[in-house]
Amino acid sequence: MNPADAVLQGQALQVATFAEWREAARELLQAGIPPEAVTWGSPGDGGDLFSGAPAPAAAPHNAPVRLQQPKPAPHQPPHVPPHVPRSLLDMLQAAACYREPDRWAFLYRVIWRWQQGEHDVQSPADPDGARLQAMVKAVRREEHDMHAYIRFRERPPEAGPPRFVAWFEPRHDVLPQVAEHFVSRMGKLSWMIATPEASVLWDGATLHNCGPLMSSAADLDDSGEALWLTYYRSIFNPARVNASLLQSHIPSRFWKNLPEGALVPSMVSQAGLGARRIGQVQTVGRRSGATIPIAPEAAQPEREQPSKLDECRRCELWQSATQAVGGEGPKKARIMVVGEQPGDQEDLAGAPFVGPAGKLLDRVFEEAGLDRKSVYLTNAVKHFKWEPRGKRRLHKTPAQREIEACHYWLEKELAATKPKVIVAMGATALKSVLQQGNVTLKDKLGRPVRHGDSWVVTIYHPSYVLRVPDEAAKQEAFKVMVAGLRLAQELLERPEITEPDTAR
Amino acid sequence: MELSDKLEILADAAKYDASCASSGAPKRGSEGKDGLGATNGMGICHSYTPDGRCVSLLKILLTNFCIYDCQYCINRRSSNVPRARFSVEEVVKLTHDFYVRNYIDGLFLSSGIIRSADYTMEQLVAVARQLREVHQFRGYIHLKTIPDADPLLIEEAGRWADRLSVNIELPTHDSVTRLAPEKNVHTIKLAMGSIRRKLDEKAEEPKAPSFAPAGQSTQMIVGADASDDHTILNTAETLYGSYKLKRVYYSAFSPIPQSPRSVPAAPPPLLREHRLYQADFLLRGYGFTASELMPASGNLALDVDPKLAWALANREHFPMDLNRADASMIARIPGIGLRNAKRLVELRRLRRIRWEDLSRLRCSLKKLAPFVVTADYKPAQGATDSSILRRHLADAPQQMNLWPELQAA
Repeated sequence: MNPADAVLQGQALQVATFAEWREAARELLQAGIPPEAVTWGSPGDGGDLFSGAPAPAAAPHNAPVRLQQPKPAPHQPPHVPPHVPRSLLDMLQAAACYREPDRWAFLYRVIWRWQQGEHDVQSPADPDGARLQAMVKAVRREEHDMHAYIRFRERPPEAGPPRFVAWFEPRHDVLPQVAEHFVSRMGKLSWMIATPEASVLWDGATLHNCGPLMSSAADLDDSGEALWLTYYRSIFNPARVNASLLQSHIPSRFWKNLPEGALVPSMVSQAGLGARRIGQVQTVGRRSGATIPIAPEAAQPEREQPSKLDECRRCELWQSATQAVGGEGPKKARIMVVGEQPGDQEDLAGAPFVGPAGKLLDRVFEEAGLDRKSVYLTNAVKHFKWEPRGKRRLHKTPAQREIEACHYWLEKELAATKPKVIVAMGATALKSVLQQGNVTLKDKLGRPVRHGDSWVVTIYHPSYVLRVPDEAAKQEAFKVMVAGLRLAQELLERPEITEPDTAR
Repeated sequence: MELSDKLEILADAAKYDASCASSGAPKRGSEGKDGLGATNGMGICHSYTPDGRCVSLLKILLTNFCIYDCQYCINRRSSNVPRARFSVEEVVKLTHDFYVRNYIDGLFLSSGIIRSADYTMEQLVAVARQLREVHQFRGYIHLKTIPDADPLLIEEAGRWADRLSVNIELPTHDSVTRLAPEKNVHTIKLAMGSIRRKLDEKAEEPKAPSFAPAGQSTQMIVGADASDDHTILNTAETLYGSYKLKRVYYSAFSPIPQSPRSVPAAPPPLLREHRLYQADFLLRGYGFTASELMPASGNLALDVDPKLAWALANREHFPMDLNRADASMIARIPGIGLRNAKRLVELRRLRRIRWEDLSRLRCSLKKLAPFVVTADYKPAQGATDSSILRRHLADAPQQMNLWPELQAA
């Protein structure tokens, strides 16, 4: 009989599964029957299901044990009440596992209200919504607890399958979902989970749903459990005992079926008897100990000596950087290119210009016809200065005192390399090379100046080109960089100039 | 030595490490396959010990022989403790047997340093390789990385493990130099940096072989040196930014038998560790910066949580109108968490938020009352200054009584 007709005749609707409820609810909604007019029941309340309908999926409690092939997922007609969102459907399905006599009626009230346009029926701020959410939460919690607190016991191989058996007393009807979890976890091993209401058995390839097969965990025995108890005792740090926290994590109803549950009281009381003063449990503490006879210097690991640069403490930047990044290139390079400071990537790699700015610089080099390997590439400041922005590091311009502190290292590089041309990229590099705090990029851009025995050519820093939002300006800045590198090459060919530098 | 004896010693030796998460691994399963194990990304705590900490992984040392002499560590070479060493096969078997009984979600393996950093790392890698290759184990594996080990070994470790971690150990260079003489912050940072570079490379090339898909983490010991919470949080923030760590774990120093004089004889209050975790969560989830939570040197308040402490110190943002404020600012109101902030924003698209909604969402009403404005509620303004409010909202001074023996020790 059609559920709508049944209701109209004053019969109670009997459903056992969510699929059946869903079928019935759809017809009732289409017939426009309000929740108050429907009486819902579950099989076992008496009366048969819709006449002619198949028997309920769950085996009756006292049914003889019979292995069944799992039922294929019930065919789900595509025309569910048209505008119920997936999220609500999922919640209803989960809430249907909540053991409570009026669950079907409640679910129907929720979907009815949704259908009437009361969409906050799903929200925890609505009384029905709050109850729905609480049911869902309790069911999910039970699933989780079952995933966590089921304990399989191994049976001897000669006993045949299942090799592993667990007993659990779930509060809600979550066994089918939970079985899926263990199918995925246990591979081809055979196992069984027994509960007071039903059991599932996995034979390594197929899941079988059965009625109750056991009434308690009493006859499960596993010699392998002793190692677990040893582990559980030993991993506990009595110095941190906090029994109330323990209670809040595992409600007491689970303890009786957890092998480690029996240990807890004595562990807590021992911790109270002074064991908490030191971390080590007495069992281990009582064993005879051994110190390792090895001289401190022999224990020193072989590691590369940090360079002098790595040990630099001239300013505070080393604190938050991974490592100092020195220069790279031929010792006697005729062109030295000086950037500002290493960035995020350079800081990790320990080499200059390997990040996005480095990639751009490679393009500039290529465009200018200059081989990157022929120049000495370095930075004015050797440690990455940054500030946190979420989980990223945001580049921060070095302060004048940091540039000054680090000039010591640049000076050494200049003295060793003696480049004929120094290309300063950006204001920080320029300030460091010229040793002038007040010099600006704009003054020197495109105008080479003499500094000691070298020419100094000033161009933009590649990061500036990356940062400029406007495409035209980007192109322009890129061209300035290329022109600067070409100029640097031309300057190499220029004879030594003797007249005083006027640009300075 | 019996396996159970070794387990007793080597689990005991590993319990000082606070980290024990099994989350973040990619989804894997064994249905219809040889071998064992599944991960769903969330991780499962399979038990809790009486210290309230979860057991999610088999957390053991491969060996507690150690040639290093870190003063805070019970396994230091000068310490007179029973020593043991598992063979690679023994760890593999234990992991398998525990996993199949549903005691654990996987393995967390660390080790004392024996012979050399490379040799030790090779042994750790061998366990993971054997689990994955020989036994087709798909559960979670976390390997503790030995910082001085060859980068190629770290790379291989990342191929088998879900998570790698390198312990920073202590919040400052000076403390490491003093208390862990064989360790070196420079090489620790380099190891973290090399792991981050591999993670970045993998992120750019999805088809490359897997590398530590659950990322990297680290641990800091709190209370073994004089560093305050300001220093600790700044170090944590630096590490998060530099190495994209998933987590920084804070482990309150546990006094150890025959403690050397260089470390304190008494532990810090466990509540301090708890406050650090709370503050850390605010850094990771809520967009707070270390300088907001701890603008000056000192320790986090023990009587109020860090979010409430921030709100009390920044009254100018409050009371905040829940019907207008930004989602990120709503999450900064004491008593309203990330999830409820999101729910409130969703709800206010439907209608105006009222006081009743807050109680239905199970927000902490006492805590938030002075800080919010709703459609039907406004706190008495300007009447209460922060110090009075603080006395009203502070946790009862229970901490002093909770562990009286500890306080006396």
